[in-house]
Amino acid sequence: MNCLEFRRELNIHPQSNAADFVAHARECPRCAQAQADALAFEGSLGRALAIPPPSNLAESILLAQATEQRRDRLRWRRGAGWLAVAATAVLAVGMGWRATRTQPLGDAAIAHMLGDEAPALALTAPVTDAAVRTAFTQRGVELAQVPADISYVQCCPVGKFKSVHMVMPRANGPVTVMYLVDDHDSRASDFAHAGWVGRSVPMAHGTLVLIGHDASQFDQVQHTWQVALQASTRI
Amino acid sequence: MAIDRSKPDVSSKQRQFDALVRGLSGDLYRYAYWLCGEDALAHDLVQETFLRAWRSLDSLRDTASAKAWLITILRREHARLYERKTPQFADVDEVEIADEREAHAPESVGEDGLIRAAMQRLDAKYREPLLMQVLGGFSCDEIARELNITPAAVMTQVFRARQKLKGMLAGDVKEAQLS
Repeated sequence: MNCLEFRRELNIHPQSNAADFVAHARECPRCAQAQADALAFEGSLGRALAIPPPSNLAESILLAQATEQRRDRLRWRRGAGWLAVAATAVLAVGMGWRATRTQPLGDAAIAHMLGDEAPALALTAPVTDAAVRTAFTQRGVELAQVPADISYVQCCPVGKFKSVHMVMPRANGPVTVMYLVDDHDSRASDFAHAGWVGRSVPMAHGTLVLIGHDASQFDQVQHTWQVALQASTRI
Repeated sequence: MAIDRSKPDVSSKQRQFDALVRGLSGDLYRYAYWLCGEDALAHDLVQETFLRAWRSLDSLRDTASAKAWLITILRREHARLYERKTPQFADVDEVEIADEREAHAPESVGEDGLIRAAMQRLDAKYREPLLMQVLGGFSCDEIARELNITPAAVMTQVFRARQKLKGMLAGDVKEAQLS
């Protein structure tokens, strides 16, 4: 192997331990120096590329998978029930489905809220309208207007849904607002879990989820978002 | 009591999936991040990749090839996303890449920040084989199979990727020294 071949190999396989590569480095001090530089660069490159993943990544994937599995089972049961029973029984199955369908969504939303982003509940300074618009645009929704008093906004998955996660400070404590884009399966329902209360409401292009300690604050927040989302467009 | 072999072993499938998620989601996230340049999108991509993997887990026969299998799914998912969303991403990406750099502010003043910024500027056709080699630990033959190009083309691309990165970094360092 000559110096030219060595340098080419060095840029393709810097950590090569092929016999002729190692032999050339031993014989040629300039190439040995180039190899030392290249290995130092590889170390820096590896460190720079090692972006830390979100700390709850594995848990959020497993939660999404469990949620999907449960939905599949419920769909299957619903289909089987429809074939097996009369019209009155179909109604009962439908009601049972409704009651259990909302539970995973509520659980997923509350678990997400209490995860890494829990400190967001304490934020009170409003974010800019532009930040809220950008988050919705990322989710494929263009807001015609942005509700006031949003102290936190972030795009993140909730269970298997793609959401915009927000916090709105209110007199009796913060209300967490999650907009699950393209979730058209949920129906209006209230839920409670781990000392929190919540509400899910179908909206244009998805489902709005509200979570807090005081459900009496939900009506006003829901109305604000209903107005904003009714005038929104899916992009 | 006789064991009913006709029923699928759900718990072992779940255990296999858990192990894959816990063992490889971090690597997949890093790969997705450098593919799309945005952390929320990377999170979505990785989640969708694993959900698809769960649905077809029975087709994974060789655990040694799990990472390559997942990366194949992730790349398809990324391509599908771009097929649907290319027009809007042209604008959003610019904003998000700038935000990401700010988000990684502590590093952006140091060597890591310079390398990350240079990686973002590197053309995708050079960046991806380099990512597969450095982050994925894949050989040139494996990268060639995944990218559907020849091994010689992979060698050329990783060679040029390193040359271009070093060239950009030399320019950035000079710029930093002058300012």
